[in-house]
Amino acid sequence: MFKLNLKIAWRNLWKNKVYAAINIGGLALGLTAFVLMLLYINHEESYDSWSPDLKNVYQIREKHDFFTPDNKEHWNEISNSRIANLLRAKLPQVVAVTKVDNDFDFDNGYSLKVDNADPVIINKIKDSDSSFFHVFPYQFLQGSADKALENKETIVLKESLAMQLFGTTKVLGKTVKVVRWETDKGTALTITGVVYEPNTPQSVNFNAITRTGNKDKDPENPTNNNYCQVYTRLNKSSDTLVLNQTLQKIYIDFKKSLLSGQKKNYNDIYKDGKLPGLKVIPVSEVHANPPYNMNWFEKLKPVMAISAFLLLVSVINFINLATAQSVQRAKEVGVKKVLGSYKTQLTWQFLVEAALQSIISLFLCIILIEIVLPAFNNHFKVDLSFWHNAQLPVMISQLVGLFVFVTLLAGFYPAWILSNYNPVSVLKGNYENGLRGIALRNVLVVFQFIISVTFIISIGVMELQSRFMSNKDLGFERGNLININTNYEDDFVERLKKIPGIQYVATTTQVMGNAFNVPEEVNYKGNAINLNTVTVTMDALPALGVKVVQGRIFSKEYKQDTVNTVVLNEAAASLFGKNVIGQTYGKVDWEGKTNRFQIVGVIKNYHNEGFDKTVLPTVYKVTSLGGTSNTNNLLVRFNTSKYKELIGKIEKEWKVLYPNFPMVYSSLDDAFSKSLEDNNRFINMIILFSLVSVSLSLLGLFALSTFVARRRTKEIAVRKVLGASNIQIVNLLNRSFLVLVIVANLISWPVAYIIIKKWLDGFAYRIDMPISPFLTATLISIIIAVLTVSIQARKAAVTDPVNALKYE
Amino acid sequence: MIDLKNIEKYYASKGIKHYVLRHVTTTIKQGEFVSIMGPSGAGKSTLLNILGMLEEPTYGTYEFMGEDVTSLNERKRIELYRNHIGFVFQAYHLIDEMTVYENIEAPLLYKKIGGSERKSRIADLLDRFNIVAKKDLFPNQLSGGQQQLVGIARALAAQPSIILADEPTGNLQSAQAEEIMQLFQKLNKEEGITIIQVTHSEKNAGYGNRILHIADGVVKDDVAVSNNVKI
Ligand SMILES: Nc1ncnc2c1ncn2[C@@H]1O[C@H](COP(=O)(O)OP(=O)(O)OP(=O)(O)O)[C@@H](O)[C@H]1O
Ligand SMILES: [Mg+2]
Repeated sequence: MFKLNLKIAWRNLWKNKVYAAINIGGLALGLTAFVLMLLYINHEESYDSWSPDLKNVYQIREKHDFFTPDNKEHWNEISNSRIANLLRAKLPQVVAVTKVDNDFDFDNGYSLKVDNADPVIINKIKDSDSSFFHVFPYQFLQGSADKALENKETIVLKESLAMQLFGTTKVLGKTVKVVRWETDKGTALTITGVVYEPNTPQSVNFNAITRTGNKDKDPENPTNNNYCQVYTRLNKSSDTLVLNQTLQKIYIDFKKSLLSGQKKNYNDIYKDGKLPGLKVIPVSEVHANPPYNMNWFEKLKPVMAISAFLLLVSVINFINLATAQSVQRAKEVGVKKVLGSYKTQLTWQFLVEAALQSIISLFLCIILIEIVLPAFNNHFKVDLSFWHNAQLPVMISQLVGLFVFVTLLAGFYPAWILSNYNPVSVLKGNYENGLRGIALRNVLVVFQFIISVTFIISIGVMELQSRFMSNKDLGFERGNLININTNYEDDFVERLKKIPGIQYVATTTQVMGNAFNVPEEVNYKGNAINLNTVTVTMDALPALGVKVVQGRIFSKEYKQDTVNTVVLNEAAASLFGKNVIGQTYGKVDWEGKTNRFQIVGVIKNYHNEGFDKTVLPTVYKVTSLGGTSNTNNLLVRFNTSKYKELIGKIEKEWKVLYPNFPMVYSSLDDAFSKSLEDNNRFINMIILFSLVSVSLSLLGLFALSTFVARRRTKEIAVRKVLGASNIQIVNLLNRSFLVLVIVANLISWPVAYIIIKKWLDGFAYRIDMPISPFLTATLISIIIAVLTVSIQARKAAVTDPVNALKYE
Repeated sequence: MIDLKNIEKYYASKGIKHYVLRHVTTTIKQGEFVSIMGPSGAGKSTLLNILGMLEEPTYGTYEFMGEDVTSLNERKRIELYRNHIGFVFQAYHLIDEMTVYENIEAPLLYKKIGGSERKSRIADLLDRFNIVAKKDLFPNQLSGGQQQLVGIARALAAQPSIILADEPTGNLQSAQAEEIMQLFQKLNKEEGITIIQVTHSEKNAGYGNRILHIADGVVKDDVAVSNNVKI
């Protein structure tokens, strides 16, 4: 029976080739989006699962407000370096503890120099201590975990870095010079090991681990603290709850003695329920629990929802077509029932048919994935692979699960409908009576169109918002402006200023691409005002091309400018009130002395960060009073557009001064594009998904209208014999579908409004909710629906009525 | 074999009962060849459907082989289909996606007949009805008469004790119709299969040995037929 049913299934597919293709192709598309997401989720889940030994490895998190983005307390990945020794001494389960550098966003990498080769910038070079490879069970290709970091001034490379630097992995004993910034003398480190790249990603990611010796000791003075990441390996996997209770006790004692060393009282700081905190989390959970940001799961939620919807749209097509086709199958069901088939047998038969289609879709989907994966990886900056995947077995079982799920979802309802046909009505030749599920089909079509119309509206609004952002006045001139990653060194600056075509050379602590917010509180006429402080050189504001609203900006003619004058942006000026030019405010410095500053100008707000963030009320100072240190920005403005040539000249000067460190720079144009990048990527993805969703819905509508037209062939023929025109017949078929599309539009308007509003609210600078995308989406959906249905209806209408009647 | 007592069937619409069958009481014995006749809309098909357990009477009792079937569960009913009842339809109702061979095979598969037995039975039927050459064709590649032969072969495959046929020759030319009727008569005489058919033709009814005349849902006449038509 099974074999025969499979045969029937195949013959049916073949008979309805076009619809089967639509069904299967559509499902394959829906599945592809979904499986891509699965791949991505698996990738994220696979972090730090590359060795079974990692289950005993834990990251230490300390609760403090040091170095946190909002200056508030968080459970941080960076802890006081003294905690490593504390654990060694007080926690008996500890096998090894290691301290390692944190990942900083603004870390641009170190320069590595091998013999006389040109230096190269390599990021993720982390300094650690002798225990790193005792905690993390890396496989050594050269050298060994025991010996590698035994001595100071050693370095262990990842396989790929060894190949990049030397072209071979046989590099033990060779030396590499590590130069950390351009004026650094550099340290020569001996290569003592090369490790394999693990087969899953790592939260402690590195290209090389160094042991310079800096991490070996803690500062002697109790008021000095070093912060770094601390990891430990325990002798057995432990209950973190119990472990954390123990740790907390140890930590409070530690904190008390540390504070008394700093001449502070524990009870003064930790009162009113406030407690210090130390805990461990298993290293496998580190990636999923970032200290400040949303974790990947939260970030991925909208995408997951979207791809689930897409899959749903294709499954709906499947259900619709299957139930529509069921008219043709009704007779088979009726006959089989009187031949003695159980209902469950019939249900199984139709489920097998659904399974056949979904398995074909699944194979197609795997092929599609192979095709789109490179583009996907490129676009989302990931490195996913289907076959070369450490979790291939997991993946395959997920696919099997997906297959069963889709088969049941798509096949169960049609199978149920079909197997419930009443044989009498069917055998009487009365198929229509046996035909159920029309209402459901209409609901499903409406649902599909709601999704599609919502997508179209979203694209419209997103497009308008992104056009608004890329054309928005940034408040500074981003053209002909580059930012070199270096501090303001007079020697270098003087050399640059001599190059013709260079108009300004300046530095600022804050510029697009390297936003560094330094909060301060000032006192103005008795009120406290919170500001963001930016320290600039005299030329920085003109170099940026900011617009002056009131007063003036810094100039060499005013001696006082280097002492205590400031310029505000409009956001800050509005906090001070009217007529601020010439006013002064007070600021208490770290020694407790009050300095007074005079406001000499107000400039237009300019953007340093993406449009999702508001421009902060900012005060600009040239003065060293209360200013901050250099932050690795050197702005260079050209007055020619001969970019390449000029940069060549700059690099020549750079090499003279800093031969061991390559020059790193970016144009402000690029920085701006980069600030839009995340958003653009999201919009592109939505556009892609929308296209797929809309075309799937249309395919579904196309196939469905074909069926309806076919089912009504006789009615159409009779009407034509009675004198109906072709147009009248096309309208007849259109009317029923048009109602569905309009209902769908009515529902999607509020749905889209709510979703899009939420998205827009994520931008500090946004357009007002436009009406045009809503109208356009409705218009588009109606036009294409009418077109699709009309093509089918026309076909049915123009066929010779005699054929249809004779056939019956 | 079949015992009907006071069978009634009505459809209620807008609170009014439209009777299709009234007070039908009759007995059909094993080995009879009964023809049901009457004007259009009289309720012939309805009666046959009730006999085939495709429809339920609204009132009355129906015993099939001594068993009350008005209260039969679905599983039991399907067992009866598999083992005792064969249907033949006016519109043939072959399954379009199956070949002639597969159509005949289907009831045997439901009956879980073993492979070799199945093959020999189908070969036998194909041979008997002279359709061996057509066994791999699909129904739409056959003439109406040929399709009905396949329909009957299918009904016979499971070796039923009764065949229910609703206007089996309604769509056929008289020559083909005659062939089918002769076949029925032969099955009835030689294999003792009970046959109940609905027909409009006196001539066809003449092949059987009993005629039930129905009008307005009531059995008006129940006459025995002396077999005047010879094989
Ligand atoms: N589902 C139904 N609802 C209401 N009335 C029905 C239904 N099915 C059948 N009938 C009525 O029952 C009556 C008998 O129908 P039936 O099919 O048994 O007639 P028949 O004797 O077989 O006629 P014919 O010779 O034309 O086939 C008819 O009047 C018909 O209108
Ligand atoms: Mg009838």
